[in-house]
Amino acid sequence: MCDQGAEILLVEDNPDDLEMTLRALRRAKLANHIQVAHDGVEALDYIFGQGVHAGRPVDKCPRFILLDLKLPKLDGLEVLRRVKADPRTALIPVVVLTSSKEQPDVRECYRLGVNSYIVKPVNFENFVNCVAEMGIYWLLLNHPPHE
Amino acid sequence: MVTGAFVIQGGTRKNNMATDQQINAIRADITPRINDAEAQERLAAIVNSSDDAIIGKSLAGIITDWNPGAEALFGYPAAEAIGQPMTIIFPPDRIQEEATILGRVARGESVQHYETVRVRKDGRRVDISVTISPILNREGKIVGASKIARDITERRQMAERQKWLASFPEKNPTPIVELDVATGHLHYQNLATTRLFPDLAVRRLGHPYLAGILAATETLRHGGVETAQREVEALGRHYAQTITYLRDANCLRIYSTDISERKQSEFEIKLLNADLEARVQRRTAELEAANKELEAFSYSVSHDLRAPLRAINGFAGILLEDFSQQLPPEGRHYLERVRQGGLRMGQLIDDLLTFARLGRQPLNRQPVNTARLVTEVLADLNLPASGRPIEARLYDLPECQGDPALLKQVWINLLSNGVKYTRGRNPALVEIGCEQRPGECVYFVRDNGVGFDMQYAGKLFRVFQRLHRADEFEGTGVGLAIVQRVVHRHGGRVWADAEPGRGATFYFTVEGDSHV
Repeated sequence: MCDQGAEILLVEDNPDDLEMTLRALRRAKLANHIQVAHDGVEALDYIFGQGVHAGRPVDKCPRFILLDLKLPKLDGLEVLRRVKADPRTALIPVVVLTSSKEQPDVRECYRLGVNSYIVKPVNFENFVNCVAEMGIYWLLLNHPPHE
Repeated sequence: MVTGAFVIQGGTRKNNMATDQQINAIRADITPRINDAEAQERLAAIVNSSDDAIIGKSLAGIITDWNPGAEALFGYPAAEAIGQPMTIIFPPDRIQEEATILGRVARGESVQHYETVRVRKDGRRVDISVTISPILNREGKIVGASKIARDITERRQMAERQKWLASFPEKNPTPIVELDVATGHLHYQNLATTRLFPDLAVRRLGHPYLAGILAATETLRHGGVETAQREVEALGRHYAQTITYLRDANCLRIYSTDISERKQSEFEIKLLNADLEARVQRRTAELEAANKELEAFSYSVSHDLRAPLRAINGFAGILLEDFSQQLPPEGRHYLERVRQGGLRMGQLIDDLLTFARLGRQPLNRQPVNTARLVTEVLADLNLPASGRPIEARLYDLPECQGDPALLKQVWINLLSNGVKYTRGRNPALVEIGCEQRPGECVYFVRDNGVGFDMQYAGKLFRVFQRLHRADEFEGTGVGLAIVQRVVHRHGGRVWADAEPGRGATFYFTVEGDSHV
């Protein structure tokens, strides 16, 4: 896997959620090297080194992707599908962080190979704790595969 | 039978024809070979033994000879008949026939097998066939007439009966045809056939009524079946044909029924069914579209309404965290109220979504072990953790047919209500059981909590309707609406009984008369 570039790719279009997520990650001292994509196309551009991120090497992939489902242009499910379908990126852990509790969304994400599915808590403390714990888990506790 | 040409010489006879004189007269006139007494006797015997009436009469129409056959046929003894006019055996309406007959005889003509009616002595009418010939004397002069009459009553009756029998197929309102398999010709076709298919006899197997019949009767003609059935369309009408086969004659008999009305009905039913099917499909599509819309709506509510709530909550939280020192206590209080409002709205949205989902989720009906379900729910509620003395008393809970996941939601809501509204009771008691009533079992959850005034019972099961203030008992007012929706979807009923300060009892049935 990669050893350079962003550690976390945060795909989030809602500026409120984005700000709160970044704040929570900062508080947990996990805010180094966060790349933000504001829609699905931008996310794929970054992941596959294309479009606005043309030239970025694909093998320099983030430690994990924090993915919202409801996104402009290309939605989160499609981003997830393409990431998991490409052997170069299939092993990147993808954590869906969404407002949707709808079972069809949850099922489809798992079917596509999501590594974790988290519903954004409405309660602020819960939200902050949730994002911090999730960041610590995927960056510190979880042992990713190496090439 | 005797049918020869007898010419009986005219003249008055006192006796019947068996006399020697008569026979001599016959012999002398017409049969030169009969020249001895023996032959004359033989001839007399033949006349006497004939079943036919053999009668001689003069040109004036007076009876001169009357054999035993005539006695038997007309009922007059010879002694009585001879010397009488021939017209004694004529019915009044046929008297004029005699003049015609006599006229023809006088001209030397004979009348062959003339069928007519005569009257017996006893008045009964009798059908006869009669042959009348002139009688010539030795000089060749016409002196009278011989009349040989035969009773044809039976034959006529037989013919009438045959005609009557033939009228059955003949006047049958639907076509009946007999077809010669070898030649393709029609042996018979009844009136209906002629009327409906005037060219059938010409077109034969080329006519739509008969086309393909040989192929259709293959099995029938090889003895495989007694009758063959087929349906044909000819000149705009539909016929169901029943076909039999006459092996010896190698003929097919084709009977038929006009089934055009039935066909039309079937066609209309098919149209109606197709129309109904199309309507069902259209309605289903509409329903599916409505469901999809509702799902999209739920999804939107679920996703889009929560995001600003998180922002309200989140930034209020950040304010409290980061700027608490700069805010006076009153400011912090209001900020806390903002957060509480946001949280409550989040809860309302969640409950409303659950309520909506329960309405469209398909029912997965199966046997439900109610006792086990209730025990599980009680365990989930974790009563000891409430720190209050609460007793849950379980009575007998029979099985039912329903959706276990949905029914679990019913029990969760009712039991958690029981727990919630007994707050402050010591001891708090929640009883769970079932009353057997005719044809149904009624589950109940009874508590000794605060109860409510029955005059507001109508509001109980409505969404967002509450009978208690939020500062007394928390809640969104969706729980009982969910209970009612699930129970109704199971075809059951739900109701409550309560008194302020004396607890409440909620009842529900799962299987009603109508299974939704």
